[in-house]
Amino acid sequence: MSTTAKSTLFRDPASTESVRSILKVVILLTIAAAAVASRLFSVIRFESIIHEFDPWFNFRASKYLVKHGFFDFWNWFDDRTWYPLGRVTGGTLYPGLMVTSGAIWHALRMISLPVDIRNICVLLAPGFSGLTAFATYLFTKEMKDSGAGLLAAAFMGIAPGYISRSVAGSYDNEAIAIFLLMFTFYLWIKAAKLGSAMWGGLCALFYFYMVSAWGGYVFITNLIPLHVFVLILMGRYSGRIYVAYSSWYALGTLASMQVPFVGFLPVKTSEHMAALGIFGLIQLVAFVDYLRGQVPSKQFNTLLRALVILITVISFTGLVTLTVTGVIAPWSGRFYSLWDTGYAKIHIPIIASVSEHQPTAWPSFFFDLNMLIWLFPAGVYLSFRQLRDEHVFIIVYSVMASYFAGVMVRLMLTLTPIVCVAAAITVSSIFDTYLEIDSPEEPEEDSESKKAKKDKKETGGFLSSKAPFIGIYSITSKVGVVGAFSVYLVLFVFHCTWVTSNAYSSPSVVLASRMPDGSQHIIDDFREAYYWLRKNTAEDAKIMSWWDYGYQIGGMADRTTLVDNNTWNNTHIATVGKAMASREEVSYDILRKHEVDYVLIIFGGLLGYSGDDINKFLWMVRIAEGVWPAEVQERKFFTPRGEYKVDHEATDTMKNSLMYKMSYYKFPSLFPPGQAQDRVRGARLPAEGPVLHTLDEAFTSENWIVRIYKVKDLDQFGRDHFAVSAFESGKKKGKKGGMAGRAPGKRGRRVVRA
Amino acid sequence: MRLLPLLTAFTSLLSFTVAQKASDKYQTFAGLASSSKGTKGVVLLNDQLFGDITSPHRNFTSVVLFTALDARFGCALCRDFQPEFDLLGNSWHKEHPQSDGLFFGVLDFTVGKQTFQRLGMSTAPILMLFPSSGPGSQQNPIKFEFNPSDVTPAEAVARWITGSSKYTVIIHRPFNYVKLFTFVGGIIGTATLSKLAYPYLAPALYSRNLWAAVSLVAVLLFTSGHMFNHIRKVPYVVQGRGGGVSYIASGFSNQLGLETQIIAVVYAVLAFSAIALCLKMPRMESSGKQKIAVMAWNLVLLVLFSFLMSIFKMKNGAYPFFLPPLIA
Repeated sequence: MSTTAKSTLFRDPASTESVRSILKVVILLTIAAAAVASRLFSVIRFESIIHEFDPWFNFRASKYLVKHGFFDFWNWFDDRTWYPLGRVTGGTLYPGLMVTSGAIWHALRMISLPVDIRNICVLLAPGFSGLTAFATYLFTKEMKDSGAGLLAAAFMGIAPGYISRSVAGSYDNEAIAIFLLMFTFYLWIKAAKLGSAMWGGLCALFYFYMVSAWGGYVFITNLIPLHVFVLILMGRYSGRIYVAYSSWYALGTLASMQVPFVGFLPVKTSEHMAALGIFGLIQLVAFVDYLRGQVPSKQFNTLLRALVILITVISFTGLVTLTVTGVIAPWSGRFYSLWDTGYAKIHIPIIASVSEHQPTAWPSFFFDLNMLIWLFPAGVYLSFRQLRDEHVFIIVYSVMASYFAGVMVRLMLTLTPIVCVAAAITVSSIFDTYLEIDSPEEPEEDSESKKAKKDKKETGGFLSSKAPFIGIYSITSKVGVVGAFSVYLVLFVFHCTWVTSNAYSSPSVVLASRMPDGSQHIIDDFREAYYWLRKNTAEDAKIMSWWDYGYQIGGMADRTTLVDNNTWNNTHIATVGKAMASREEVSYDILRKHEVDYVLIIFGGLLGYSGDDINKFLWMVRIAEGVWPAEVQERKFFTPRGEYKVDHEATDTMKNSLMYKMSYYKFPSLFPPGQAQDRVRGARLPAEGPVLHTLDEAFTSENWIVRIYKVKDLDQFGRDHFAVSAFESGKKKGKKGGMAGRAPGKRGRRVVRA
Repeated sequence: MRLLPLLTAFTSLLSFTVAQKASDKYQTFAGLASSSKGTKGVVLLNDQLFGDITSPHRNFTSVVLFTALDARFGCALCRDFQPEFDLLGNSWHKEHPQSDGLFFGVLDFTVGKQTFQRLGMSTAPILMLFPSSGPGSQQNPIKFEFNPSDVTPAEAVARWITGSSKYTVIIHRPFNYVKLFTFVGGIIGTATLSKLAYPYLAPALYSRNLWAAVSLVAVLLFTSGHMFNHIRKVPYVVQGRGGGVSYIASGFSNQLGLETQIIAVVYAVLAFSAIALCLKMPRMESSGKQKIAVMAWNLVLLVLFSFLMSIFKMKNGAYPFFLPPLIA
């Protein structure tokens, strides 16, 4: 009696509806809070600061937006980057992120909460991660039930694969894009389930928001058509699919074309052709479906089938012809390199050079997803069991996203949501079974029914769940399984916290290291150097650096740069690469022609900071070689044995390159004679450091990470700089004795740090 | 006084003979190029011909490939480059049947040992351009730097020739009919085969099990780092330190072929145990059997997950977590 009462109390949905919904709200709020809180490591440990490289540009653009207003932002021509070309910034960015933070800034001001735009930018990503968790809940709820939804939301909130791109300060397009991705998918599933044009329209609306926020919108543009295509192939065409897809595609495409950066791409490039093709196909299928209902003659059906095949072939040929003749642009290189994985390495070194475009090794998957990664295939399998229309979506998404994540580390981000959803479905199915308090009665031994079942089982094969559901008999089994999974879940939380805290919370602008006594030591060379530039150089000074640092120089030092992280002009980048890789005579010409005032390089040899310019140097050489194969050759930077060396074995080309000279200029003087050592490459350097003729050392940061050189002006007497330095060194020879002793420790700050 | 005209006459005679000789040589090479035994447009040189083609007085430019094609030398690069060089000579010969001052020559080690020794060459292939000895032009031969990662070496050499002489070689890659026929034949074959096999394949094509298996295998392959193996061409196993075979690569962003397969199998078994726990177990009729099966699957899951964690800890030394019973 008591058991039945208990079971009704817990099981009857009607009687506990309100309690359940309150609980759900509380749990979701807790998840959102946990999601936000776990992303605040860097703010607490360092300060409220923008991270990495790209966010600095977004931050600068946001500042511009709130300062000058929306219309100025839309027409913004930025003459402080890509000197002397400039950049039509308003038309070449995805404005969604900046507009979002601008809107939040205005909204807060309206309710008399004037918050600094920087704080909004820093905290935007954590804030949106809470919303992502909610969108994941809604999405998973459509797939299974709200229990699975809550689990998926919790996974999504703390999975490192998503945290990696959304910690506080990581003010990048992905910060809001993953929320938009999940929400658009949720709306699509809803639209496809209900066949409602309203949901389709909403889906298009959020698709538009997504297009305005991130280039990864192409993923949606191809995944939804693929879903529809698979459904049609499975013979699951229905009016619902037709309404949902047509309304989404028509509205979404028109809306997406309003973003200036996208413009006519949706009708002109191959990336978008799948969506257009499926739109045509679904019209055709709908027409045939209609006719079939009207005329049930067999011959007519054959005729129709022929017609459909003919039209498909004709339109496909048309598409190919248009692509060949150039009306439709072929796959862009960035996109194409996802299919032909060797493509980028040969043809577009600038893409291959970015570390996040490398393929993913398995430890990265495990690092970012931990136990979810093996729960994920189980979830896909469970989707196959039910296989409603929305489950097809999970399967298609899983396979495609796994492939992309395997090819490119960066795309782990698009895989993470579906892994969370699939894993949540698995875990929730297990809990559904094992958290049932009631145990079933053991059935009577009945040989006949058993035999029948056995036969059934044999036909069941791979999907071995045709037998009726009975339940778990023993309480020990239940406790064992639930206990084990609870331990795994707790371990997962620990894992996520550890990964977030250790791997993804470094701003990379500020480096942290541990002193021997365990206290934290902050290495702040980047900001030191950028603020030096800001305070000590002319406002219109042009700084040349490798493109990685362009956005930071623009954002922190507020100076004009030659190239930056928006790598739209390969030749210009190659010019900088050539200047770095050539002899001083050649480089000086390039520097003068581009009116460069200062050259900034990153050097990690003293501290052991491995992401420095000497390690990136080969990419500069490669990119320069792509444009000037006769003047810059990668081979010449390798020793005859094919090694990349910086010590006395280094080739002459290497030793005479501007980058090498700038990196090691005066470096040996820090050490006792002959003891100079590069801590990154573990190489002992020649005792004689390189000599610079056309540049002056202007600034070197505390730990030598950033070195800035001033480009010498033309000589007053019209001599070249080599003659000048030869002349001066000859003259000064007699006096040099007095100076020599002072040279090494000239600046008090240049101390070797262990 | 009388000596001077004589001297001039003699000099002019000398220069005439030299010119005569040069033009003779030119004719010889032009003839050799158009009727050579090997590919058209490429002169097969030997020690003597090499001496002629690089003699100090020449009114032609020559591009000479020093190679060692014989299998004894095992020069893979030579054999890879030879067709590209032939294509180069051929393309030039097609447009300029009279050679027009540019020759392509090949000197193989087997017939040109002396030259190799004289020039102190110990590696092959070496590609050199000998400019014509006209007034004001560069005299020294120019060496071509091979770039092994180049996909179209002939074009690279053509660019190099353009850059270092007055000639422009346009490469005409012959159309690959074999490829076209294989492609068209493949399409027709596939179409026919699928048409014929459709009645038999249709059930499989619509079989949920098959698609589930395919999708799961794909997901497992991709998430266990197969694409990394494919792109980076990592070795399957490597020799370990103690002479044994090492299955697991050290380092967090590195892996071996076998390692990923182990991981994929571990993932698969883990996923299968999870499926078994939530689908198969509650459908077992006998309570005793079920109890044992649940415990067994639970144990499998625990041990394998623990194994996975320990491998991961091996790869990433700083990782602090582990799961009993296996502690690395």
